[in-house]
Amino acid sequence: MSKLIGRVLATEKSPTTMDEFNFWTNSDLKLNAFDIVKIEHIDNSYTFGVIENISHITDAQSFLTNFISSDFGNVDIEEPTLRVGMNYAKAKVSFNTRNLYTPVHNNSKVYLATADEIAMALGLNRIQNPLVCGSLKMYEGTAEEVTLPVHLNSKFILGPEGAHLNISGISGLAAKTSYAMFLMKAIQDQYLSSDIDESVAFVIFNVKGRDLMAIDRSNDFLNDAPGEKERVIKEYKLLGLSTEPFKKVKYYIPFTSSASAKQSTYLSPEDVKNYMEYGQLQKFKYSYESDKESLEMLFADIDDPQQTMEAIISKIIDDTDPDFGSGRVNTWTEFRDKVDELSQRSQPAGRGGQQRVSNEISVLSWRKFKRIINKAIKNDDMFANRPDSSKHECRLADELKKIRENEVCVVDIAKLPEDKQAFVFGDAVRTIYNLKLGEYDIESGVEPPSRIIIFIDELNKYASKEIPKSSPILREILDITERGRSLGVVLFAAEQFRSAIHPRVTGNCATHAYGRTNSIETSAADYKNLPSTYQNMLTRLEQGDYLIQNPVFRSLLKIRFPKPVYRQFK
Amino acid sequence: MDGTTESSTRPKQNKIMNVIADATGGKSYKAHKYALDHTDHPFVDYGDSEIRWKRRAETTEYRTYVDLSEYSKKLASRDDHILSYFLDGSRRVFKVDDIAYAKSGSRSVIYPVIAGQIGVGCCLRVNKKVIPTKFKNEFVLSMPDVADADGKPGFWPATAKKLSDCDELKRLGIEFSTILPYKTSKNDDMKFEDRATACVQDRMIECEKKLVAELVHEGKLNQNNYLIKDGSLEYRLNKEDKADKKLYQTFKNNYSWVIGASKNFNPEVCEDINGKPNPGFIADLPLYHRTPVAEYENSMLSDIKFAVWYIRLRDKKQTRTAFDGILKIEKILVTEEENENGINSEQVDILSSYIINERNPVCYGSDLRWANHIYPIYLTEAFVKSRYLSAESFLHLF
Repeated sequence: MSKLIGRVLATEKSPTTMDEFNFWTNSDLKLNAFDIVKIEHIDNSYTFGVIENISHITDAQSFLTNFISSDFGNVDIEEPTLRVGMNYAKAKVSFNTRNLYTPVHNNSKVYLATADEIAMALGLNRIQNPLVCGSLKMYEGTAEEVTLPVHLNSKFILGPEGAHLNISGISGLAAKTSYAMFLMKAIQDQYLSSDIDESVAFVIFNVKGRDLMAIDRSNDFLNDAPGEKERVIKEYKLLGLSTEPFKKVKYYIPFTSSASAKQSTYLSPEDVKNYMEYGQLQKFKYSYESDKESLEMLFADIDDPQQTMEAIISKIIDDTDPDFGSGRVNTWTEFRDKVDELSQRSQPAGRGGQQRVSNEISVLSWRKFKRIINKAIKNDDMFANRPDSSKHECRLADELKKIRENEVCVVDIAKLPEDKQAFVFGDAVRTIYNLKLGEYDIESGVEPPSRIIIFIDELNKYASKEIPKSSPILREILDITERGRSLGVVLFAAEQFRSAIHPRVTGNCATHAYGRTNSIETSAADYKNLPSTYQNMLTRLEQGDYLIQNPVFRSLLKIRFPKPVYRQFK
Repeated sequence: MDGTTESSTRPKQNKIMNVIADATGGKSYKAHKYALDHTDHPFVDYGDSEIRWKRRAETTEYRTYVDLSEYSKKLASRDDHILSYFLDGSRRVFKVDDIAYAKSGSRSVIYPVIAGQIGVGCCLRVNKKVIPTKFKNEFVLSMPDVADADGKPGFWPATAKKLSDCDELKRLGIEFSTILPYKTSKNDDMKFEDRATACVQDRMIECEKKLVAELVHEGKLNQNNYLIKDGSLEYRLNKEDKADKKLYQTFKNNYSWVIGASKNFNPEVCEDINGKPNPGFIADLPLYHRTPVAEYENSMLSDIKFAVWYIRLRDKKQTRTAFDGILKIEKILVTEEENENGINSEQVDILSSYIINERNPVCYGSDLRWANHIYPIYLTEAFVKSRYLSAESFLHLF
């Protein structure tokens, strides 16, 4: 039998309503926000409520009463009698077993709920296509503690019903990457183990250190307390997940010649060598011929109010262009020389034949273009003439085109400067989007899985509110968030401050995970729909705790997830 | 037609006053019904000057105030207490009707009918928390003695029973425990209302006495578990108590571990060493000091002797009047030795120090008498009051 913990309060000033009520409890009872309580209601039904806040009051009429009670401010005074006090909790109605949303009655009995009842109250028991997204704990620290796995409907995160995931939270404390990886692991597990008609693949961008560069290696838990490994493994088993790391992983790092002192990855040369021996790692290159169309990605963050940069890029990719078209330029060196030449020409550029230089583009614009291009391309091995497949080299877009089901492609952009990170990311995203649009269907070896998940951390770099509207990457991201659901391109994105992200991006995400953040962030408009207790709670969530919002849940859920089972670098 | 008339008149028939008028042969006037109580506020009780300070009643002969500030601090640091039980009784009286009784000839006289709710509660303090342990409540009526036409014993209980048997009260689960007749003879100038109120008050005191007796009987009170009773211990002995030696001794024994703490008292009664009334002696009592213990007796209380002393809980400058922070403490002298030599002064100091430590927390803001209303008593009082039927509901019965 459930434990009786209090009674409903209804007064003239604080009535019970269709969506909320208050109840009193013993002041020593341990309850937390998000705990579920069960209330006896009319017609033998039960109403369930989610605790939003708990207040403690005493019979002291004012602060002055308490002050006087210590002999007018003597801090050492101990009172022989405790002041009469009680706790009352505010709860939001989540569900009634007979769909009766008449306000609960005064003095109705309030119980703790059982595991089954909690699942029912939160709508967790009727989730179709269940995909585990963490576990929730109720009544933490009491004898009645309940731990429940929480499942999402995978159709609401991978499409077609709803797609995309947005994770926000401050670096380090929120474990955003770990959470995204946990979800992807759950997805891979599910697709590997069951015969679902659909198939899925992952494209992950590693943006920090070597963090995601060993996701197919087991976590050794060397930096954790003893017994942690067993605990984590137990948690995975409880959630119904395998305890193995990711499978079918391929790594892509930007090319640098092995002779060069400057490496473009945080992986050690031994690791790189190792991975290459296993055939798991390739170095990607960009050649002028195949990748000139992606040049615009380098300009994602550049203000271009007159669209001159855009004009230059159109000129470059125009096959009929007298300067660049018809194979006149074939390598990056030729390209740079050409740009150099164009930016040298005085304007108006002589007479006669020289006049063919487009007057629309001023020399100043060419110079600006040249500066940007040189900064990015010059002295970078990644921009090369052609990949040599015998030396584990590749063109990233070609590899992504051939992605197969259950494969995980990790693209390492951690060591690249921001403009080139954008370039690689933009190019990859565009390739995947086009792949799912069917542009490469005629090419051999192209068999895209039905869903491709792209995970990018630091989304704010590509889709913040401040990014120029003309940014090609923002355009790609908007395309994915707005149309990817039906196409089968799913974006898992993480950022520190959700409020900084373009509203069309967050607005199209079906699932939101809120990790620990600060109070400046929670005061932003994005969080206005959260009750103030939850807003404050966000500022003190523990690592591994998330508030999850998904259309299938009746309310926001506080969940936690276990530590990663793949290798961790400290 | 008849049926509807009957059903529409039935509720009226069921009203208490109709039953009473019926039973006593009087005429109910359905007069205005109102509460007779005044609200709780501090007041100086100047009345009852029959009680006089007689002599010193403690083993040490103090000639002036006794300083307990250090001693109370010492006790506070020990974190134990001997004041465990707290008792408070209260009553609410209402004038519910006027009733006329025929006298000789065609003359009739109108008397007020008073109804009261009595509540007596006791709370126990465990681990600093106050828990209600006992509660008694009663609904009583007070009627003029002439309402009993025959003057035969058993009339009042029978009427009370008849009353409680009426449908409406049964439906509400309310029972009038007794009807208290007040005297109508004109031998003093007290108003009838006041006489009736006094009857209810006496009944409440009886209730309190019963509750104390219960606690004693259950062995709850001892030297480590004192009972503090709100108000004076000036209990009148009733006839039975006085008549029976054994009962009388039991009464006294019941009060071995009981002290009375009064917020309101008559400072005029205090006499100084020279036997002159000296309210200033109490008014000037310094903080955390007590007065010497005095003994008084009262003809009304036969030979029961009381020890009385005063304690100041709050600084004079923090209260509105000089008497606000003072508590009057009473204890019945129980043993031969106590009657002879007075209470052991050490015991007085201990009790007083514990009471001084009860000064916190306060009920400032919720009760005007916060300066000398000790908190567990305040809670007990709140508990008792919370159990009353609201005035509206109660008056509606009549």
